[in-house]
Amino acid sequence: MASGDLIVGLEIGTSKICVVVGETRPDGTLKILGVGQAPSRGVRKGEIVDFETAMKCVHEAVVDAEQKSDVMIRSVYVAVAGGHIQSFNNRGCVILPEERDEIDEQDVEDVKINAREVSIPAQNAFLHSIIQHYHVDGQDGVLNPVGMLGEKLEADFHIVHGVRTRIQNTIRCVKELPLEVEDVVFSALASAQVVLTQHQKNLGALVVDIGGGTTDYILYVDGAVKQSGGLAIGGDHITNDISMGLRIPMARAEKLKNEEGSCVLGNCLPGETILLKDDSGFAGKEIERETLNTIIHMRLRETFELLKRTVEEEPFINYAGAGIFITGGCSLVNGIDHLAGEIFEMPAHVTHAQTLSGLTSAVENPQFSTAIGLLKYAQAVQVDRPRRGITRIFGRFFSGMR
Amino acid sequence: MIQLSKNYSLPERQEEPIPIKVVGVGSAGSNVLDRVLLDGMDKADLIAVNTDVQSLASSVAARKVQLGRTCTRGLGTGGDPELGYQAAIESADEIRQAIAGPRMIFICAGLGGGTGSGAAPIVAQLAREAGSLVIAFATLPFSFEGKRRAVQAQDALSRLNEIANAVICFENDRMGDMVAPKAGIHQAFGVADMTISQSVRSIVNLIQRPGLIRIGFDDLFAALRSQNGRCLFGFGESDSDNRAHDALTQALKNPLMDKGRMLSEAAHVLVQVAGGPGMTLSEVEILMRELGRHVRDHTQIVFGTAVDGRMGNRLSVTIISSLASEDSMVAQQMPAQPEPFLAPPPPVLEQAEEPPPAPPKIDIVPEHEIAPSSEPAAGDLIAFEPPAAAEAPPPAPVPSIKKPAPRLIPPKKKPVVEKEAKPPKEKSVQAKQEVLQFEPVTRGRFEKSEPTIVEGQDLDIPTFLRKNIRVK
Repeated sequence: MASGDLIVGLEIGTSKICVVVGETRPDGTLKILGVGQAPSRGVRKGEIVDFETAMKCVHEAVVDAEQKSDVMIRSVYVAVAGGHIQSFNNRGCVILPEERDEIDEQDVEDVKINAREVSIPAQNAFLHSIIQHYHVDGQDGVLNPVGMLGEKLEADFHIVHGVRTRIQNTIRCVKELPLEVEDVVFSALASAQVVLTQHQKNLGALVVDIGGGTTDYILYVDGAVKQSGGLAIGGDHITNDISMGLRIPMARAEKLKNEEGSCVLGNCLPGETILLKDDSGFAGKEIERETLNTIIHMRLRETFELLKRTVEEEPFINYAGAGIFITGGCSLVNGIDHLAGEIFEMPAHVTHAQTLSGLTSAVENPQFSTAIGLLKYAQAVQVDRPRRGITRIFGRFFSGMR
Repeated sequence: MIQLSKNYSLPERQEEPIPIKVVGVGSAGSNVLDRVLLDGMDKADLIAVNTDVQSLASSVAARKVQLGRTCTRGLGTGGDPELGYQAAIESADEIRQAIAGPRMIFICAGLGGGTGSGAAPIVAQLAREAGSLVIAFATLPFSFEGKRRAVQAQDALSRLNEIANAVICFENDRMGDMVAPKAGIHQAFGVADMTISQSVRSIVNLIQRPGLIRIGFDDLFAALRSQNGRCLFGFGESDSDNRAHDALTQALKNPLMDKGRMLSEAAHVLVQVAGGPGMTLSEVEILMRELGRHVRDHTQIVFGTAVDGRMGNRLSVTIISSLASEDSMVAQQMPAQPEPFLAPPPPVLEQAEEPPPAPPKIDIVPEHEIAPSSEPAAGDLIAFEPPAAAEAPPPAPVPSIKKPAPRLIPPKKKPVVEKEAKPPKEKSVQAKQEVLQFEPVTRGRFEKSEPTIVEGQDLDIPTFLRKNIRVK
C-alpha cells in the first residue's frame, strides 16, 4: 500500500490508454507503483470520436492499474494531444507602484495574468503558460525576480492553447467514470519532463513524441520552452499506409510494422521478402521488405519534414544543442533516429523516461513516456517546495474550463 | 491374370560417378583441402601439393606431393613465385602421376605467395595436357598483405585464366565482409576457406548428384564462360519451414554475390536446387520466381534440380555465374572450350526473329498488346487504337486489363517494341500505367475522421500515393 502521496497519470492515446500510478516520497523521489493499460478504441488522431467506447476503455485501463498497484484511484492527471494544440510566446509587463520597489509574489502573478491577455481563437482555451525568463528594468535573464528591486517587471511566457471542446471531451470522459481530473497537460510537455534532463533542457532539445495518432513536439532552448505543438499524424498513418500499399488487413499491417518494419532504405537484399503466414480470413502473402520499408520511410520522412518546416518558422531550432529526442510508441520503428537525424541535421536519439525508481521495465518503454511524464509534472506543480530554477511550471490554468 | 506393377518410377540409374580430384597447391590450398575434408567429401580424391614439408605433413589429404625436393629442400618458397615455378617443374612427373585419371580436376590455390602463384599454373597445365577439365579456385590476398603480393597474385591469376577451363576467383577482401569486425584473423581466413570449400563441394555435388534436370559440364562452363571475369557464387542451405526462401536468401548473402546485385549483370546464371525426397515443385517454383527478380530478362538461367536422399529435410541452392570484366568482353566471343554452348541461340533469336515469339513467358499481356494491331475487330479495343494520343482513351481500357500486368510489362517489352517501331502501342501502354497509379486515392481507416490537411495536402492519404512512388 502506498505511503506517500499518490499521483496518477492517464493518457488517452489513439492506440492504447495507459495509466501510471506513482507515489511521491518524502525525500522528493517518485516511485512508480503500477502501470495499467488497455487497447484504445473510439479515439482517432488523439481525439475522442466515440465517447461511450472510449470511456469503457479508460475504465478498463484504470481498473487494470488499480489491480496492479493495489491502490484506489480517485484523481488523475490527464494528457491531451492532437493537431489542434498550438502555442506562441508572449511577454507580459507590470509596472510596480510608486511607493514600492521590491518585487513580490503578487507581481509575479500579475505579470503572468498580463501575459495571457492576448487574443486566441474564440473556441480555444489556455492549457499552459510556461515561464521562460523575467526581465527587471530591461535586465535580461532573471530567474527569480522575487525580492529584487526594480520598477518594471516583464516576463516571457510560452502559452499553449487548444480547442476548448476537444479538451473538455477528454475531461468529461474521465469525469464520467467518475474520477477527479487534477490537471490537463499537453502530452509533449509531460513527456519532456522525464525524457530530458535539466542539462539537456539548458543545452536546447527538441522532444518529438510520436504516438499512434499524433506527433507532438516541444522545443526547449536555454532551459525554457520556446515552441510546442502537435500534428495529427502518427503510427496509425504508417499502419494505414502499409495496409493500403500492401493490401493486407490493418491488424496484419500493425504487426508487420512492429515486427519487421524499418525506415532505413537500401538496407535489405534486393528481392528479400517477408512471408505472412496465412490465417483465418487471410490468405498468406509474400511481400518485399524494401516495399514495406519504403512505405514507412516515405511517411516518416514526410512527417519529419513537415515538423521541421513547422519548427523552422521560428529561429529557435538552431539552438537545440542536445539534438532531437524521439519518444512515444512509434519511436520503436527501426532506424527512426537515423532518419530524424538526417532530416534535422542534428543528433537524434530514441529515448524513454529516465531517472525514476520502481517499475523500471515500464519506465524503459517509450510508449509510457507521456504517462510517466505526467507524474513528474504533477510532482513539480504539487509540491510546495522552493522553485527549482526557471523550468518551474506554472500550469493549472483552466479555471475557465471546468 | 496380369499384375501391373504400381511402381511407375524408373529404377534409379546407378551411373559410375565422374572421377574428380581436388588438388590443393601451396599452404592456402591445403587449408582448403582440410576444410573440404572436414566438411565431408567422399566423392573426390584430395591431393595436397606443396613445397613446404612441414605444412604437407600436417595436411589431412590422402595423397601428398612434395615439390622441388632439390631446389627448396623441403622448405617453403619464401613468397617467391619463380621458386615455386621451378619446384613444380622439377616435380612435374610426380604431379602428373598424382593427377592422372580423372576427367575433372579442381585446383585450389591461394595466389600471392610462392607455391600457390608459381606452381598452380603448372599443375593446371599438366592436368590439361593429361586431358582433364580444369577448374581453378583461386583466392586473391587481402589488400593489407601488400602490393607486391597483389601483383604476384594478378600475374598468376591471368596465367591460370589462360590455362584452366574455368577460374573461380575469391577476393579475400570481400570475404572479410562476412566476418564481424571484431572476429579474430584466423576466423577471417577460416571463413574464406569455408566459402571455397563450400563452392568446391557444391560444384562436385552439382555434377555428380543424380539430377532430375541434370546440370552437366556444358552448363557449368556456359555459366563460367566469361574469361578473366568475376565469378559469382552463392550457396545456401536451409531446413526451416520457409526453406526455399531462406536457402535463396542465404545464397544471395554470399560475399561473392554482393547481395544479389551482381546477378543483374550476368548473362548466364546456373542454378541448382537440391533437396531430399520431400522437396516440392512449389518450393522450387517460389525459389525460381524469387531469383527471377534478381536477373534481367534476357539472362539465360540454366536450371537444374536434384533429389538426394541424404539431404534429408534440407534444401540447398547453388548459384553460379560470372561477370565478364570490361576488357574481356571481346575475348568472350572465342572461348577455347570444345563444349557445345546452349547460350548463343537466344541472342540470335532476339535480334533476327520477330519479337512476339521472343517473350512468350510473359503470360497474358502480349496478347493484349498484339491484338489491336493484328486484328482490329477486337470490339472496344479499336476505340482507343486510332487516337494514340495517350491521355483521353485510357479510362476505357483500364477495367478490361488486369492490374498487375501493366506494371510488370513496360520494362520487359520496351527494347523489343522499339526495335519493331510500333510507337502507338507503346504509348497506349504507358498511359494505362499512369492512370492505374492514380486510381486508388482513399484514406483507409481515416475515411470517417476529420481530414488532416496541411499545406494543401490531405495527410491521411498514404504518402507513397501522394508522392506517386511505386511500391510494388
